[in-house]
Amino acid sequence: MKKQYGKLLVLLWAGLLAWIGILTGSARAASILKVGLLEEPKTLNVWLASDTWSRKVLGQIYQPLYVREPKELKLIPWLAESQPQYDPQKICYTVRLRKANWSDGTELTSEDVAFTGNFIKEFKVPRYYSKWRFIDRIETPDPRTVKFYLKEPRAIFLGRTLTTPIAQKKQWEKVAVQLRKAEKPIASLMKTKIEKPIGSGPFHLRQWKQGAYLYLCRNEHFFAQGKSIEGMTLGPHLDGIIFKLFGTSDAAILALKKGSIDMFWWGIQPGYLQDLKNNPNIQLFYSEKSALYYMGFNVRRPPFSDATLRRAIATLIDKDFIVNRILQGNAIKMHSIVPPGNRFWYCPDVPKYGEGLTKEERIKKAFEMLKGAGYTWEVPPLKPDGAIQPAKGIKLPDGSPMARFTILTPPADYDPNRAMAGMMIQEWLRMVGMPAFAKPMAFGSLIQQVKVRRKFDAFILGYGRLSLDPDYLRAFFHSRNNRVRGWNMSGYTNPEFDRLADLSAKAMDVQERRRLIWEMQRIIMRDVPYIPLYNPKLIEGVRKGKFEGWVQMLGGIGNVWTFCNLREK
Amino acid sequence: MAGSVQKRAGFKGAFLEGWEIFKESLLGRIGLTLILIFALMAVASFIPPMIDPMYHPMHGVDPEISFSTGPSLRHWLGTDFMGRDILSQLLAGARVAFMVGVSAAFMSIFLGTSIGMIAGYMGKAVDTMLMRLADMIMVMPTLLVVLILSSLFGQLNIWTIVLIIALFRWPGVSRVIRSQTLSLKTRPFIEAARVAGASHFRIIFRHIMPNVLPLSFLYMTFRVTSAIIIEAALAFLGFGDPGTVSWGMMLQWVWKTGHMFKAPYWLLPPGICISLITLSFYMLGRAMDEVLDPRLRKEADAS
Repeated sequence: MKKQYGKLLVLLWAGLLAWIGILTGSARAASILKVGLLEEPKTLNVWLASDTWSRKVLGQIYQPLYVREPKELKLIPWLAESQPQYDPQKICYTVRLRKANWSDGTELTSEDVAFTGNFIKEFKVPRYYSKWRFIDRIETPDPRTVKFYLKEPRAIFLGRTLTTPIAQKKQWEKVAVQLRKAEKPIASLMKTKIEKPIGSGPFHLRQWKQGAYLYLCRNEHFFAQGKSIEGMTLGPHLDGIIFKLFGTSDAAILALKKGSIDMFWWGIQPGYLQDLKNNPNIQLFYSEKSALYYMGFNVRRPPFSDATLRRAIATLIDKDFIVNRILQGNAIKMHSIVPPGNRFWYCPDVPKYGEGLTKEERIKKAFEMLKGAGYTWEVPPLKPDGAIQPAKGIKLPDGSPMARFTILTPPADYDPNRAMAGMMIQEWLRMVGMPAFAKPMAFGSLIQQVKVRRKFDAFILGYGRLSLDPDYLRAFFHSRNNRVRGWNMSGYTNPEFDRLADLSAKAMDVQERRRLIWEMQRIIMRDVPYIPLYNPKLIEGVRKGKFEGWVQMLGGIGNVWTFCNLREK
Repeated sequence: MAGSVQKRAGFKGAFLEGWEIFKESLLGRIGLTLILIFALMAVASFIPPMIDPMYHPMHGVDPEISFSTGPSLRHWLGTDFMGRDILSQLLAGARVAFMVGVSAAFMSIFLGTSIGMIAGYMGKAVDTMLMRLADMIMVMPTLLVVLILSSLFGQLNIWTIVLIIALFRWPGVSRVIRSQTLSLKTRPFIEAARVAGASHFRIIFRHIMPNVLPLSFLYMTFRVTSAIIIEAALAFLGFGDPGTVSWGMMLQWVWKTGHMFKAPYWLLPPGICISLITLSFYMLGRAMDEVLDPRLRKEADAS
């Protein structure tokens, strides 16, 4: 009896040791990148993913035909094999596909591409429809060739349409059938849940533990595996990525310092920098962003229907203060709607209001501009001897007193910088006697007020991810978009601008398009329906030592290149 | 005429007697001293902006400093992330704390006392209705309601916050006042007033109110505490009035700019001030409790 117990004990021990061996052995073998996120992805339905967290995760799964390379941001073939062939007679683009597979092993064919395009068109998928609506039909002569016939030449086709993520026909066809039966297809699409997204990217979803983490595994079928693209031998060289959720930057940065995550995929606030710089285990990346933070006016009604007043306000705003103090130097000033980092499209010779002026000079200049346009004061901001004094009772050129107006900003808990910028702008405008009031407002209500009700005076908003194609310039200021829920939130209308914008949309010659885009920027900065304020820099932190091969590009290190190139040291 | 003089002497006498007892209480003395210090701070908050516009708590920045620095001669408590003086913010914060605390407490006491007296005196249906209303409001978590309201209507103005706090904090007071009124209304002097033909209004406000007011003021001190804490919590979470420099707001800036563990000179002062001011009002309340409730006093004497 005793002997048997002894045997059993030995067996148990052996089993335990083997188990530990398996555990530690597998842990050593697998190279898993741990990435900290602030929030959980809202959805894994790629057509609904409008929040940054869902896009970060889905970006590893769904891939487009063309992507931008990290250095010059040129479009290069990704799922496609070569650059698209254009036939101007038929307004037709032909794209050849690489040999690629979905993560379930099936082949990615031209059928999938055509299905994706037709799906977006049929169900008017939000955020993608505008990039596909001008496509007349899509043909698939063979499994590796797709022909896109356009209704008319469109400049955004390459940069916007061909960068749409491609979805698998097999997975989405069932959804499409359901949607066709539904009374309101878009509403049903909004409710469609995708548990296991099937993509063609370097990783695929293994497990999503709600509220805790997401585990992405290496996609064995990834097409670029072992290929050399842009001088990088692509992997993925990682076995997987774990996305951990933290809720606050404080907790995530602590985890980064302790080493429980390898990368924190979110901009780091300047306050943490000093500490992280001194930490030998942390490496920081400073990247430019394609972003626009701006102050917009309601030009549909007084007082901001007057361009002189808008120019005076642009003069009064101290962008250096906003950039150096509120953003702690982690941003660049903007003078045009197109960010300066977008070198090809950015027009450098636009009017730069108030640039290099001191506070007194700003007040004087704004005062002269306003006085010249017929504005009067009870107490003007300048004394007869030229000294500055607190101004009072500003009156519009028609003699009526300027009514108090509000500058809507997002609330401090959403974006402290914009809320603070609003407060400071309020103070600067009050220096010349304008009854300005900054009012932070819940983000949803702010958008409602500006886009739907359209009863507002001015606002401060931003686009954190501005596309690299400057077609947004047309969207923001074309009079056609001056409608409820339209992009033209200012209500700016200018027939000359509309004409140039329409031309630019159809210009297939890049140089010609650039000339038009530059001219459009000049017009906008002359009339200033938006005052561009700043473009924040992105600071990201990773652990040194364990992984190497981070690829930095516009928008930071969190890109498909990094995840395909990263390997354990 | 002679009667009113006598009455005044009575009030004065009662006050002096109360003061004697209050003086004995260590808690009361500490509380009162702290409150006086904070009051001084609030008054002093007007001074720095007069010395130099860079000391304006909201938009005055040091022209040479554009990041957070530690204490120096020029900035006794240092500067915040954009070069604003922390001491002037702290002083301005005292003003806001008093404003929010006292006005919210006063409003809720006014409401609570009136409703409590009416409910207690009228009894029956009026009592049931008012007290059920009080119950309903009492179970609502104030902070949560204000959070929801501010996310619905956008960021709230400081006076709106004060009003909401007042509207949600009266039921506790009204319950106590009601029970006091219930016991008062059976006393002979009320009976006498009724027999003499006094109206309900007169009885409530002329005869009952003077007897419940001390209790109301006692509760006011506790309400000040909760109002200050709610405002600070709101501001810290980013739902405060961004145009006001309150201590909660300062904490929010520390947090949001990532200076939480880097700048103790910026984090600690507002934190300590919030703790101390609420503590001081609480201590004042406890001491007043002893003045008003002889049972507590005797226990204290015995020990």
